[in-house]
Amino acid sequence: MALNAISYLLPDGLDLGGFKKILAESNHISEDAPVTTKQTYYDSFDWRVWQAGGELVHGLDQPNQLCWMDRKNFSCVACQRVDANPEFADDMPEGPLADRLTAVLAMRVLMPKVNVIQKKHTLRILDSEEKTVVRVVLENNRYTAIRGKQKGDLEGRIVLKPLKGYEDQFIKFKHQLAALKLRPAEQSLYEDALVGIGQKPGDYSSKLNYRLDPDAPADATARQIMIGLLNTLEANISGTKANLDSEFLHDLRVATRRTRSAMSQIKGVFDPQQLEPFKQGFGWIGKVTGETRDLDVYLLHYPSFRAGLPKVLQDDLDPFYTFLQQHHKKAQAELVKKINSPHFRKTLKSWRNWLQSSPEKSTQAPNASRATAQLADQRISKLYKRVLKNGSTIGPDSPAEQLHDLRKQCKKLRYLMGFFQSLYPKPAIREPIKALKIILDNLGEFQDLEVQAQSLEDFGDQMLKEGAPASSLMAMGILVGQLLEKQIQAREAFVELFTGFSSESNQQAFRKLFGGA
Amino acid sequence: MHIIGVYNIKGGVGKTATAVNLAYLAARQGYRTLIWDLDPQAAATFYFRIQPKVKGSKNKLIAGKLDLDKVVKATDFENLDMLPADFSYRNMDLRLEVAKKPTKQLLSLLRPLSHAYDYVFLDCPPSISLVSENIFRAAEGLLLPMIPTTLSLRTYKQLLDFLDGHRITGLEIMPFFSMVDRRKRMHLDVMESLQASSSELLQAQIPYASDVEKMGIHRMPVEAFAPRSFAASAYQALWMDVQERLR
Repeated sequence: MALNAISYLLPDGLDLGGFKKILAESNHISEDAPVTTKQTYYDSFDWRVWQAGGELVHGLDQPNQLCWMDRKNFSCVACQRVDANPEFADDMPEGPLADRLTAVLAMRVLMPKVNVIQKKHTLRILDSEEKTVVRVVLENNRYTAIRGKQKGDLEGRIVLKPLKGYEDQFIKFKHQLAALKLRPAEQSLYEDALVGIGQKPGDYSSKLNYRLDPDAPADATARQIMIGLLNTLEANISGTKANLDSEFLHDLRVATRRTRSAMSQIKGVFDPQQLEPFKQGFGWIGKVTGETRDLDVYLLHYPSFRAGLPKVLQDDLDPFYTFLQQHHKKAQAELVKKINSPHFRKTLKSWRNWLQSSPEKSTQAPNASRATAQLADQRISKLYKRVLKNGSTIGPDSPAEQLHDLRKQCKKLRYLMGFFQSLYPKPAIREPIKALKIILDNLGEFQDLEVQAQSLEDFGDQMLKEGAPASSLMAMGILVGQLLEKQIQAREAFVELFTGFSSESNQQAFRKLFGGA
Repeated sequence: MHIIGVYNIKGGVGKTATAVNLAYLAARQGYRTLIWDLDPQAAATFYFRIQPKVKGSKNKLIAGKLDLDKVVKATDFENLDMLPADFSYRNMDLRLEVAKKPTKQLLSLLRPLSHAYDYVFLDCPPSISLVSENIFRAAEGLLLPMIPTTLSLRTYKQLLDFLDGHRITGLEIMPFFSMVDRRKRMHLDVMESLQASSSELLQAQIPYASDVEKMGIHRMPVEAFAPRSFAASAYQALWMDVQERLR
């Protein structure tokens, strides 16, 4: 029977001395010298540890220990010694915690979220052999921000800690304390500390998660969606500039693409002339961020590229990695210049101003005052029909271009469904989104593999000019062959997958949800 | 999980003190550590103020039916747990003799704990028996405390012959001098002769010190009650040597 620690809030008017006196009435106790420790809580920018039900804390019981605590019961699930500040899971020494983090974080870097300075007074409940059977810790906690000067006191806590093998004594002691009517702490220390610095776990997510009003005029809804996307884009700027991990730029680019898609697909809600400069502005952002992202993708794929080669050839690929790193460094520096440029700043600033300005009543846009739900139905069903029509004309011999076009349409449809998903019953919209995702994955794979194969050839040409050894180019040639092979497989799978997507039952589900005959 | 046995054919050489102090130091470094008191005399168990009793150990232990995790007791120190001794351990040899794979029972009992602990210290009973053979086969390293006397050298050679004769390989043998009294000429002579001939010998030495004896009064590791003592720093040096050797 494994028991978990229990945290209570220290009631007003009860101090260490008073509490000790109460305990000593019916227990044999001893006291440790007070200890002050600093704990730092870590998570990825998008709170992946939190989303996976954990809290990651450094320095909880030992100064160099990193522990994954289960949020449900505040028990330690995996612990590991780390000698440096934790960053990427891949760089951590092997162990159960590293395994868990690798699965949860993938390519994301860990960032310190908040510090807690803790002064602990530990009282021990002893048995007749003077062996500790329960630990009672009185904590005085202060939070401090990682950057900046925010700091403050948190409510004091009394924490009961069970000891393995002494569960009966723990339960007995807990019952004994019931007379004090202590209030259990509802939030963890981490949550309390985050509140202190004005943050909420999970307050950033790149997912589309709007609460829309079905009756609101469509132009107001479009602005709401676009402001959300702009917030996401801006939230990722500093991480992109510092290149903390590749996901910042990725999320920035996705927000850019979604913004462009929203401009073109939520049709007829704004004056096209007013929108035009912003369309161009976001097109430019998409363009100037492209090269770094491409190189990120190859760097992320590199380990699997390497592992896919026969063992004797794996080392031959190393110059390709060096090439990628060097070019990434250059592209990143260029990217930072672009982000710092007045044009970039002005584009976002004027876009925000425009979105936040009150809509013109005299607008000529035909859909501006239509109910959101109506427009959503209409746009989604129209695009869906187009996808169905175009997809069904693709046969085994259709040119690749046709599949690429279909992918673009599917993506637009996917974004629209994402923007408007809160207007539909959650369980009902899940299925069409899933069905669309299968097709999108297939089309994405087909196109990505082609692009990758082409890029590898281009990189090879460049590397040749830069004096790379022939063995590296040959290894890359094998990779190109493998990629094209996989692309053919993706192509062959398409027709069957699309038949599934366009099945009568799927079509019915779409029609039922979004209308349209 | 690193399994380290602390062993000598002879008793009274500072074996238990070594297991207790090194386990404490490992735990204090942040490693999740378990100490298993396999000696029915239960000295290590006594040092941690734990009752020398393991429910079900008599019948289930060697039958492989005992879930060790359920009988582990936390010590008073963070990261340090103990499998206490039990009086029934005195008959462990007899039980092992009739078991299947009698020389690998210990290892299979410890295996389920491999994700729960970074270090396991086995405080072994003196003598050469099936129990000790189990320990040799389970452990990655074997610490051999030796009092620097001619008799100790003899038992050390006996052990090496035993390992050789039973084809026990891959075990890192780590002899070191224990209960060293630098005032005794014989101690100095014996140490000098072994230092010249053994490449396995660890550099650190544990002195004959009253602080080590006082562990029985304080009932805790030396470091916990006399952190600045000569004995405490000797154990620290020994632990550094052991980590270095097992790296």
